[in-house]
Amino acid sequence: MVPTSNYLLLAAALFCMGMLGVLVRRNALVVFMCVELMLNASNLTFLAFARHRGDMTGHISAFFVIAVAAAEAAIGLAIVIAVFRSRGTLNVDDIRTMRH
Amino acid sequence: MRVPSIPAADFLPLVPAIILLVGACVLLMTEVFLRSPSRGYQAPLSLFFTGLAGAVSLSSAFEPARPVFQGFAAQDPFSSAVTLVVCVALGLAVLTSSGFLRSRNAERGEFYALMLFAASGMSLLAMSTELITLFINIEVLSVGTYALTSYLRRGTRPAEAGFKYFILGAFSSAILLYGAALLYGATGSTKLSEMAVVLPAALAAQPALVYAGALLVAGGFAFKVAAVPFHMWTPDVYEGAPTPVTALMSAGVKAAAFAAMIRVFLVLGKGMDPSVPLALFSGLAYLTMIVGNLLALPQRNVKRMLAYSSIGHAGYLLVGVAALFVTAEAPAGDGFRFFGATPLLAPGLSEVAARADALKGLLFYLLAYTVTTVGSFGVLAALERSEDEPKGTAWDLDRFAGLAQRRPGWAFAMAVFMLSLGGVPPTVGFMGKLLIFRSAVDTGLVGLAVVGVLTSAAAIYYYLRVVVAMYMRPAPEDERIPVTLSWGTELALALSALAVVVLGILPGTVTDWLQQASTLWLGQ
Amino acid sequence: MEPSPLAPYLPLAVALLLAGVLAVAVMLLASVLGPRRPSAVKSLAFEAGNEPVGSARQRFAVKFYVVALLFIVFDVEAVFLYPWAVNFQQLGWFGYAEMAVFAATLVVGLIYVWKKGALEWEH
Repeated sequence: MVPTSNYLLLAAALFCMGMLGVLVRRNALVVFMCVELMLNASNLTFLAFARHRGDMTGHISAFFVIAVAAAEAAIGLAIVIAVFRSRGTLNVDDIRTMRH
Repeated sequence: MRVPSIPAADFLPLVPAIILLVGACVLLMTEVFLRSPSRGYQAPLSLFFTGLAGAVSLSSAFEPARPVFQGFAAQDPFSSAVTLVVCVALGLAVLTSSGFLRSRNAERGEFYALMLFAASGMSLLAMSTELITLFINIEVLSVGTYALTSYLRRGTRPAEAGFKYFILGAFSSAILLYGAALLYGATGSTKLSEMAVVLPAALAAQPALVYAGALLVAGGFAFKVAAVPFHMWTPDVYEGAPTPVTALMSAGVKAAAFAAMIRVFLVLGKGMDPSVPLALFSGLAYLTMIVGNLLALPQRNVKRMLAYSSIGHAGYLLVGVAALFVTAEAPAGDGFRFFGATPLLAPGLSEVAARADALKGLLFYLLAYTVTTVGSFGVLAALERSEDEPKGTAWDLDRFAGLAQRRPGWAFAMAVFMLSLGGVPPTVGFMGKLLIFRSAVDTGLVGLAVVGVLTSAAAIYYYLRVVVAMYMRPAPEDERIPVTLSWGTELALALSALAVVVLGILPGTVTDWLQQASTLWLGQ
Repeated sequence: MEPSPLAPYLPLAVALLLAGVLAVAVMLLASVLGPRRPSAVKSLAFEAGNEPVGSARQRFAVKFYVVALLFIVFDVEAVFLYPWAVNFQQLGWFGYAEMAVFAATLVVGLIYVWKKGALEWEH
């Protein structure tokens, strides 16, 4: 059986990759995917701990997080389309009219 | 399998949120089924549901605290008070919306429905006592406000604001969720009540896991309440969102997020060394008060100024939060000596009494800030003209020049709101600051109180600049004030100005209620 | 003998093997038994309805995104339906009522989407 710590390390690595991606990537869709990566890293952490403890709470949590992530994906997709329609680019460096 | 049996009484605390949800569904359905072009019924309908939800939560405000749904949520005076504040914010925002949307030809049932959905999330967030329930409700309110932010589909600003809010909001939710996962790993439960029991043992076994989880959760909340250094999104989002939505965000979202943060950390603080949350929240409070108010000083764009000022107000609220974690024993280290004073309870003050005082201050401040900020965004919404928005001059200080001659009522209301935000007596903002700073002094957090008073004094400069523009500068010749008189906006301005003055002069009744509610909640 | 740590993966290996055999068998059978009448369109690579040759960076009509968006929202709800269906007997009337409320909420959303015309492909 794979030890729990391996899952936790994988999840932590995924979380850090997602976080780094949000901070450095330029394409809005990629940034959005990185956020999803962070959510899934949290999910993996929940599941690893749930298996380690033989407790169902973590499994149930993962279901709810999946549903919430779907709602977030839907609204995110809609907003990204609105951004693209209003200015024709998805580069986050160009999305900054409001600077003072 | 053991099937949980849930008594019917457990559903009672949910009634305000259910009313808001039903209202949102009704508005969605009337929007698609009633084909008449007139949508004048929508704002009164939303107001009806808001009022009903507020009345229900008021009627249950003094019931003793009890856990419901097997510890997933709690019915207590605290959650009722926060729901009430949310309903006040929602009602005033709905009143301002109708005129605002009609003048842009954008009045639709979806707008009010989204507001009601978001408010139900806020109400449920205030009563969540389990980390996943809490996360879901944060998302309910966030998804609603993301959509509302980019609701007006004209120009580039709303989409840009919506995008920034969405990315940073989702980012902070993910951080909070990861923190929750780590806390679950350390304690084996996501219910706060069970975590409180296991926490001392978990802290002894895996301190790093607990502290990392708690820090990540705190970071997620700091984003939501716009505390420095997690405030970068606030000015752009507040400026780009439709003004009534900004009002709801700055009041309702803040109140609900503060409520959840207080609830989580009161439990986590029981298990860990209380000087950790104390140091955390004091640090955030210092930074947020100073940076928020400093950044507001040079702003000529009034909407942006109010955004930075809302960061500053989050700082004052954080002072109250920090005061919740002062204990009867002096902290072991010497690191918490601020300006020569140690965080220590004033003589003769019990820990529960000090906490109840701090909580009363927090709730009163939330109410005070809600009526004041929604009112001032209401004036902005009434003044702005949609054709100025692409140029970014819709909220310039010049738009307020000479307002006192042309619209004495609006100018007076705005002056009252500005004085209240600045904390000048006899307004409600002054009473709120007084309560917060007094509980900071009572708990020995003199440094925080001193910085709070100093930054409030500095803040009066930028608030008074608006008043000076309205009363002492002549109106520009070509200036045209929108003539779209809407009963909703006028009513919202009158009500909030009245509340600011009345609560400022006679706060007694409300503070007594809040005192009673806080003692009832904490004294168990 | 100690059971190998890979033992739990044996069914997976069997499934992989079966899938491979099936794929090869079907293709062999088709090439042996099927008639062959090639035409220009038939010999194009199959790309799920798209033109197989040309720039891959073309834009999709926005109506695809609307469908994708609705699909995400309504599809994921099955996550909750499945565990409920498995435990339907034990959950009893309480579970039934809970799921009825959940489904009713979704139906409100569906009615809204329908009346808004988001399900129409041709406007």
